[in-house]
Amino acid sequence: MRARRSADLFAPPLPKRTPPAAPLKTLAPPQPVSPAAAPAELWLGVQVMIGAKQAGPDSPPELGRLATLAQRLTPRLSLAPPDGLLLEVKGSLHLFGGVDGIRREMALECARCGLRGTLALAPTPLAALTAARAGRSLLVLDPAQLIGQLSPLPLAALRWPQKLLERLAFIGVRTIGQALRLPRAGFAQRFGAAQLGELDRLTGRVSDPRERFEVRTRFRRRRELSCELDNHGALLEALGPLLTALEQFLESRQCGVLELECRLWHRGRPPSRCALRLAAPLADARRLAGLLGERLGTLALPEPVRACELRSGLPVPRVLSSAGLWQPGEHGGLSEAHSPHLIERLRARLGSEAVKGLAVLKDHRPEAAWCVREPEACSEVSHCRPLEGELAPPASRPGAPRDATRPLWLLPLPRRLTERDGLPRYRGGLRLLSEPERIETGWWDGAEVARDYYIALDIHGRRLWLFRERHPPHRWFLHGVFG
Amino acid sequence: MEYAELHCLSNFTFLRGASHPKELIEQAADLGYTALALTDECSLSGVVRAHVAAKERGLKLIIGSELRLACGLALVALAIDRHGYGRLCRLITQGRRAAVKGGYRLTRADLAILEHCLILWLPGERPCDSEARWLAERFPGGVWIAVELLRGGADREHLQALRRIGRETGLRLVASGDVHMHVRSRRTVQDALTAIRLNVPVAEAGENLHPNGERHLRERERLDRLYPRELLEETVRIAQRCAFSLDELRYEYPRELVPPGQTPASHLRKLTEEGVRRRWPQGIPEDERAALEHELALIAELRYEPYFLTVHDIVAFARSRGILCQGRGSAANSRVCYCLGVTAVDPQRGAQLVFERFISKERNEPPDIDIDFEHERREEVIQYVYDRYGRERTAIAATVIMYRPRSALRDLGKAFGLAPEQCAQLAGVMQWWDGGEVLTQRLREAGFDPDSPVLARLLPLARELIAFPGFPRHLSQHVGGFVISAGRLDELVPIENAAMEGRTVVQWDKDDLDALGLLKVDLLALGMLTALRKGLDLVNRFRGTRHELGGLPAEDPQVYEMISRADTIGVFQIESRAQMAMLPRLKPRCYYDLVIEVAIVRPGPIQGDMVHPYLKRRQGREPVSYPSDAVRDVLSRTLGVPIFQEQVMRLAMVAAGFTPGEADQLRRAMGAWKRTGGIGHFRDKLLCGMTSRGYAVEFAERIYRQMMGFADYGFPEAHAASFALLAYDSAWLKCYEPAAFTAALLNSQPMGFYAPAQLVRDAREHGVRVRPVDACESGWDCVLERGEDGEPALRLGLRLVKGLSGGGADRLIEARRQGAFASVQDLARRARLDRRDLEALAGAGALASLSGNRHLAFWDAAGTERPLPIEPAGGLAARGTDPIPLLSAPTEGEDIVADYASLGLTLGRHPLALLRDSLRSAGLCDAGDLARLEPGGWVRTAGIVLSRQRPSAAKGVTFLTLEDETGPLNVIVWERVGEEYRHALVGSRLLEVHGRLQREEGVTHLVARRLIDRSALLGALLTRSRDFH
Repeated sequence: MRARRSADLFAPPLPKRTPPAAPLKTLAPPQPVSPAAAPAELWLGVQVMIGAKQAGPDSPPELGRLATLAQRLTPRLSLAPPDGLLLEVKGSLHLFGGVDGIRREMALECARCGLRGTLALAPTPLAALTAARAGRSLLVLDPAQLIGQLSPLPLAALRWPQKLLERLAFIGVRTIGQALRLPRAGFAQRFGAAQLGELDRLTGRVSDPRERFEVRTRFRRRRELSCELDNHGALLEALGPLLTALEQFLESRQCGVLELECRLWHRGRPPSRCALRLAAPLADARRLAGLLGERLGTLALPEPVRACELRSGLPVPRVLSSAGLWQPGEHGGLSEAHSPHLIERLRARLGSEAVKGLAVLKDHRPEAAWCVREPEACSEVSHCRPLEGELAPPASRPGAPRDATRPLWLLPLPRRLTERDGLPRYRGGLRLLSEPERIETGWWDGAEVARDYYIALDIHGRRLWLFRERHPPHRWFLHGVFG
Repeated sequence: MEYAELHCLSNFTFLRGASHPKELIEQAADLGYTALALTDECSLSGVVRAHVAAKERGLKLIIGSELRLACGLALVALAIDRHGYGRLCRLITQGRRAAVKGGYRLTRADLAILEHCLILWLPGERPCDSEARWLAERFPGGVWIAVELLRGGADREHLQALRRIGRETGLRLVASGDVHMHVRSRRTVQDALTAIRLNVPVAEAGENLHPNGERHLRERERLDRLYPRELLEETVRIAQRCAFSLDELRYEYPRELVPPGQTPASHLRKLTEEGVRRRWPQGIPEDERAALEHELALIAELRYEPYFLTVHDIVAFARSRGILCQGRGSAANSRVCYCLGVTAVDPQRGAQLVFERFISKERNEPPDIDIDFEHERREEVIQYVYDRYGRERTAIAATVIMYRPRSALRDLGKAFGLAPEQCAQLAGVMQWWDGGEVLTQRLREAGFDPDSPVLARLLPLARELIAFPGFPRHLSQHVGGFVISAGRLDELVPIENAAMEGRTVVQWDKDDLDALGLLKVDLLALGMLTALRKGLDLVNRFRGTRHELGGLPAEDPQVYEMISRADTIGVFQIESRAQMAMLPRLKPRCYYDLVIEVAIVRPGPIQGDMVHPYLKRRQGREPVSYPSDAVRDVLSRTLGVPIFQEQVMRLAMVAAGFTPGEADQLRRAMGAWKRTGGIGHFRDKLLCGMTSRGYAVEFAERIYRQMMGFADYGFPEAHAASFALLAYDSAWLKCYEPAAFTAALLNSQPMGFYAPAQLVRDAREHGVRVRPVDACESGWDCVLERGEDGEPALRLGLRLVKGLSGGGADRLIEARRQGAFASVQDLARRARLDRRDLEALAGAGALASLSGNRHLAFWDAAGTERPLPIEPAGGLAARGTDPIPLLSAPTEGEDIVADYASLGLTLGRHPLALLRDSLRSAGLCDAGDLARLEPGGWVRTAGIVLSRQRPSAAKGVTFLTLEDETGPLNVIVWERVGEEYRHALVGSRLLEVHGRLQREEGVTHLVARRLIDRSALLGALLTRSRDFH
């Protein structure tokens, strides 16, 4: 074998400080002279079986769950999507009863997630991961043994592109060991410098920094007050430090919140709660304080407050955008109605349930032609249902009459009308004003309609919107009232 | 009140119209409409079908088209006479040719060519006076305002608005219905099609859907209530002015083929007589002369001379370029065509051909001749046709692509908002062999619940879309049917762009052209002709002989001896496993036996149960008898068993009193009865006819059953006769020149039934020495090299190397001509090969002679960089510093795997030879063992899957051909077993089979009971099965 010639040619590089001095002939890194050299790191690589359906580049949720659980084993944890997890466990070994113990614990966590995992321990993260992906429960504590142990593993475990593996197979190279015996420059020229770098990371020749896994957490903090408070202004002031802390928490993650709950604790009473729902992710403590103030103002306190707490919803990445040159409402600025500030202020004052948005849907069925939804900050005008006037028929509707009228008020459910001589009655006789408009559609979602709509005048002179079923028994219904 | 619908779309307005033209016609007739205008959007694709249906129902059909201009102006143009029709065709052609396939683009300026058409202005939702005024000026007296009252809620207002425009512009108003479907219940189909067209789920299509189902053919009473009387009366007046019928189309044959001073008849006579002197140098026999005169008289009577002259012209061109070709069809096998050189089937040696089949006095239909050309050179012929007749007179027939179960499920899945994977899964549920229906059972197996709300709505729609004849989806180009006309073709039928660059298709398909009696010549591509030419060229060059197609020594007993042994891998038409199973039983001894052999292994004869009676009679195990002399005349050639389609027709004529025209109708009905169920009235006529002529009822019933069998696929004797010639010629080549034969097949790939691996293996078994691909020796094609004994050896060509570019191979061969290569680097530099080409060569083992072994060669190749232009040897300078790694020499297994990966074949051992020890220890025997074992026993074996066949005649049975190092093995998988082991059956490359051994007349089969996928054993071995439909 070519890799072992004379040791002096392969002087060990000082780890992480100087790059290897001499150009080395083969990919294999120098063997440390001292056999007792303990590894600086020990990595546990986990490969779990994850259903084939979500084999995308993103981390599947199972992996995130497993990582969250495995955090108790070590704080140094990285995801290797789609199916790998890496833990640096050198520091945790003694806590969990050594190598066997930590493997047992990890296996336990896999089982808790309902996953089957292969575990391997090695001095470099890539070696641990590759061994696990090759299905080998490798255990290498001595860096000097790493290459020997990796050699028989198939190159495919490195997950290189299939085409590249095929090309390597054409020179008879199928295992990691065979690849490591190739000349470095020749290898890089033929199969890519990136792959050479990967082999170097595999053997620990170069370091392999990994992005640390962090769980998305919510903000939750409580403050005991030094004296009991029943004044809203003072309360808001007392919340100040918490809001500042929240702001820092969010800023560090470049996130904002959409939901925020404030709890106020009383003596001998359940806590009062007030919740904010925001139209856009927000992190600014001043604006949050303003909104919270509005909300607190409407809250009746049963008892003085002795402690307060802030709980956030999940942090959401903020979309950073530049503000308009003009203020909302000013000439050229957005209309005030579309400002998120207004919506938030209304919500803060009336409760989030009280403020809703309406949207027009393109559907011929009147009841399916609109919906309630979250009010959207700065939503485009076309999506908002006009608050006054009639709906103009969309231009795309072929053959529709030009002045199709729709009432502004639709009954939640059409109301059945009585009939006399085949004509409908509603608190007296009705006079049909229009010709029928036929709507028959909606067969695809189980709410098919087949109706002829009419405009009618009742005895009080109100204009009503009626329909007659197209199919027997041809009943009449009231569906809306014109304003 | 009388009414004529003047604005009606069929489903040939793809993804808009929701009814077949025939349905619209029938509904309109049932409702008592005076006339119906079919006005598909910028298309006349549906008019022939409508025309046929309208004639049947006695309804007046008006031809028109809805046109939506780029500026937004929409109108319907209706042709009032032949001239107007021609102009409409030209306008549509103009619009279609100006856009990519499937679309069209027209502007107001384009309307200038429109003449003799009536215009219905479609005002749309917001009528625009200026449009009306422009039209009124452009087409004075010929424009109406179409009033389409569709219960939108403001119909009265709409009508008022249009009345006002009418008063101001002086245009009259007319009622029309914007019809998209024949009945209201097609509303769901129409909505789904709209969603498919817009590529959105139907739930999101919103107001792009029509609000109601009024766009159907409405009852006249309802129209009376909706429309003012004068608007309805106007429809009838317009309909009366539109007097054009497709019957007026008079097809004229191209005229330029007749030299000045000659008539078509005299010219055809002259060419025929030249042929007579060539074919019968000693003088034509008396009876042949009589038959020839009869044919010429028939041709003259029907004025078909130009057709024969056209075919002759094309064939003569091909001959002049050395392109092999051969005609097919009974008209092709006539004596006239024999004399013209269209075919080599000597009518005397051939058969008693039914010339009437394609030329019938009763039907005014043109004869139909198919001409096969070498597949690699057909394009030259096509370009010649375009050049000779001009693009405005020539186009390819269309093929209407219909919805099939897979496409319907995929599209509807999307329309119902299913995720793309789900759509693919849903469509994937249907295998190609599941036939034309959606099986709920299959859906269940794949984990779908057919009763779920979505599928419960989707499946009925799918069934509507695929119900015979299937909703058309788009036009595609026919494989080779050319339409050639004397005048402008685009005044006969609109022409549009095909997907292929430079090709145009007419808007009608083969059946449409047939129905109107338009000339069509099928120019088809046939791989075997390519192979035969290449094979004969190789032989002639190697031996200095002058063999040519049709001139090979006929009726050679050794050739028939080889055929009877089923030693026919690569031989045209008789190489399939079903054919090979039949050959030892039928033992062909002469040309006509081959004609029968070609025709008998077809679904028709097999389902009609004609094979066994024929074999028994041939082997003398059953007496040959005829119920009458008339029947004897028809069936004596085939020992009393009808095998050819022509015989069935003849039987209907002589035994049941059918006229030739009726018999031909019967043939067409047979082809379609499964789909239309329309053969019942023929049954009565046939049985009555036969019993009244004194035939036994059993005999009549049997003939009828056999006809039903033919319905699936009966083979015409005329085609079999042509194919048998090629079968004989290719067998002769295989028998006497196996090296040239194999080289020619390899050089003509892809074609035929077998992959290069089997062809080469077969050649070596016949003693052909095969030499590997070598960059220092091989050309692009496989060639013959002289062996030590002077016999040819087959040198594999660079064309087999996967991934090698044609340009790279050319440069390599050119550079080699300058001098032999010293090394891989030398080769790379002089041939200017890039790394990809070099690696392809190295992977194929073609550089092994330069580098030592395949691994080193690949290392060398991979390290070669393309030199920079200013530094010619730049990339190679580094060579000196690039150390040579220690690479292990490839093992035998590695070499075999690499051979298969790159070449698809190996000259080394069969891969299973390497696995044999482990297979033996697992208790599996090889194909050679099976040939020695007693039938009836229970055996286990394994082999590489070469092919899977699921003939439609075989009711769900799959035929597998496996192969190991000792030879091929036939496996029969019954439907039940196939279902149980579907995964292994469909997915295996190496398959283990447990089953019972059967042997019948020397043919060994294994009837499978259990299948196991053993592909993993092959490692990276890349053998791909060839699946046949």
